[in-house]
Amino acid sequence: MNKFLSLLGAPFLNFIDITGQMSVLFFTTLRLIFKKPFRTRLLLKQIEFIGANSLSVIVLTGSFTGMVFAFQSYIGFHKFGADQLVGTVVALGMARELGPVLSSIMVAARAGSAITAEIGTMKVTEQVDALNALAVDPVHYLFVPRILAGFIVMPMLNAIAVFCGIVGGAVVGVKVLGINKTLYMQYMYTYIELDDFINGMIKSFVFGGLVTLVGCYKGYMTRGGAEGVGRATTESVVLACILILVFDYILTAFMF
Amino acid sequence: MEYAIECIDLHKSFGRHQIHKGIDLKIVKGAITYIIGPSGTGKSVLLKQLCGLMPPTKGRVLVNGRDLTQMKQSELTEMRKKFGILFQNAALFDSMNVFENVAFPLREHTKLSKGEISKIVSEKLRLVGLRDVEQKMPSELSGGMRKRVGLARAIALEPEIILYDEPTTGLDPIMCDAVDNLINDTQKELGITSIVISHDIESTLKIADYIAMLYDGKVVLYGTPEEFKTTENPYVRQFFSASKEGPINII
Ligand SMILES: Nc1ncnc2c1ncn2[C@@H]1O[C@H](COP(=O)(O)OP(=O)(O)OP(=O)(O)O)[C@@H](O)[C@H]1O
Ligand SMILES: [Mg+2]
Repeated sequence: MNKFLSLLGAPFLNFIDITGQMSVLFFTTLRLIFKKPFRTRLLLKQIEFIGANSLSVIVLTGSFTGMVFAFQSYIGFHKFGADQLVGTVVALGMARELGPVLSSIMVAARAGSAITAEIGTMKVTEQVDALNALAVDPVHYLFVPRILAGFIVMPMLNAIAVFCGIVGGAVVGVKVLGINKTLYMQYMYTYIELDDFINGMIKSFVFGGLVTLVGCYKGYMTRGGAEGVGRATTESVVLACILILVFDYILTAFMF
Repeated sequence: MEYAIECIDLHKSFGRHQIHKGIDLKIVKGAITYIIGPSGTGKSVLLKQLCGLMPPTKGRVLVNGRDLTQMKQSELTEMRKKFGILFQNAALFDSMNVFENVAFPLREHTKLSKGEISKIVSEKLRLVGLRDVEQKMPSELSGGMRKRVGLARAIALEPEIILYDEPTTGLDPIMCDAVDNLINDTQKELGITSIVISHDIESTLKIADYIAMLYDGKVVLYGTPEEFKTTENPYVRQFFSASKEGPINII
């Protein structure tokens, strides 16, 4: 029994530990965002890295998801002759759910992991110590530009993913499945509200902060040479994806 | 005598592994103190505790009379502007070229113009004997060159206290001598407090005002080079004569 409890206890304590450390770092970062100096150059570099360089991946993910989604929902709707509803469901699903979740998972895999690898390497080669030694707060220098960029860029990437998904869905729906174009568009416009998009935007804003925070945190906590950097990078992607899904549920339930 | 840094009963462990077992050391202001001792005795770890990069497990570190271990992160950061630190592995920022590395502290902490910064950077690089490397990335440099860039970065802001972790290890004899002179000159001209970790006994005896020898987590002897030359302390004698016989365990 004791053994069982300790078996259960260790990961639980670990979880509390990580959550605690991450929250502290997050609120420290939030406070430091408003502290001088503002490193605009670093921020722009991160916006380019997290945002601009993710564009192709996001366009591909968005379009293919929309296209597949159109096929899949068609199977259901066709059974009771409601083909024209495919557009509505694709747009709704993309805007509220698939756009924000998939685009931020892609960003976690592409940019979050790279952030961890970069900061982790700096940690194990004493460059983080060097920042400290040169009287520059590493959290201010490393975390702030990245997390700020995450907040700024993720909603934009989400908008692009959603747009591509809707276009992809429409192309498949109208050209491949032969749904009436006018009806497809009409149903989509009628049943989609601005709220659906805002909902997704709020989610992606939160996910953007989450992915970059996890990337920075895992990098900052790295120990043990090149192997440690590799481990941290993997853990960063896994943790970011799990947190995206958990927060997705929380946000969905909250904004229901 | 005035002290720049005082360690009081300093203990440091990593898990079960005890590195420091009660170090008392006072660093005289405006003087050059050398720290010597066998590899792995915790000289680098001591250096990191002196500037608050690593918290001691127990004990206190006073810098100008203020206790580092009681400081908040923001106070520590402010206090570190007084320090220049050369890391054992140089720890250059590998995303920046040599110029940007040396200019980094100047850009962060001064309002100097671009022209002034570039003048200071060239001047410091010249002091450490480097030319035409400003645009190179750290990965394109040799170990000795990296170390000297790290040195230039550490002295860029002309700090009050400079900590050098093995500044001459890995340099050729001519460059060693140049760096020794640099340490000596910066101290003489600017009255900087210098703490130097070194394995080079000859230059230690030549340049040091005070020497502390570390072994097994304690300071086994602290004194002037004269005292070190004449001491009968068995640890010092064995270390200086590079002999296998004596109280220092060679594993
Ligand atoms: N971050 C760390 N985690 C765990 N152990 C460490 C850490 N840093 C140093 N040590 C241990 O502390 C001891 C002292 O290390 P330190 O680097 O201070 O030695 P040193 O005296 O500088 O040696 P050298 O002359 O070879 O540079 C070593 O046994 C090392 O294994
Ligand atoms: Mg060392």
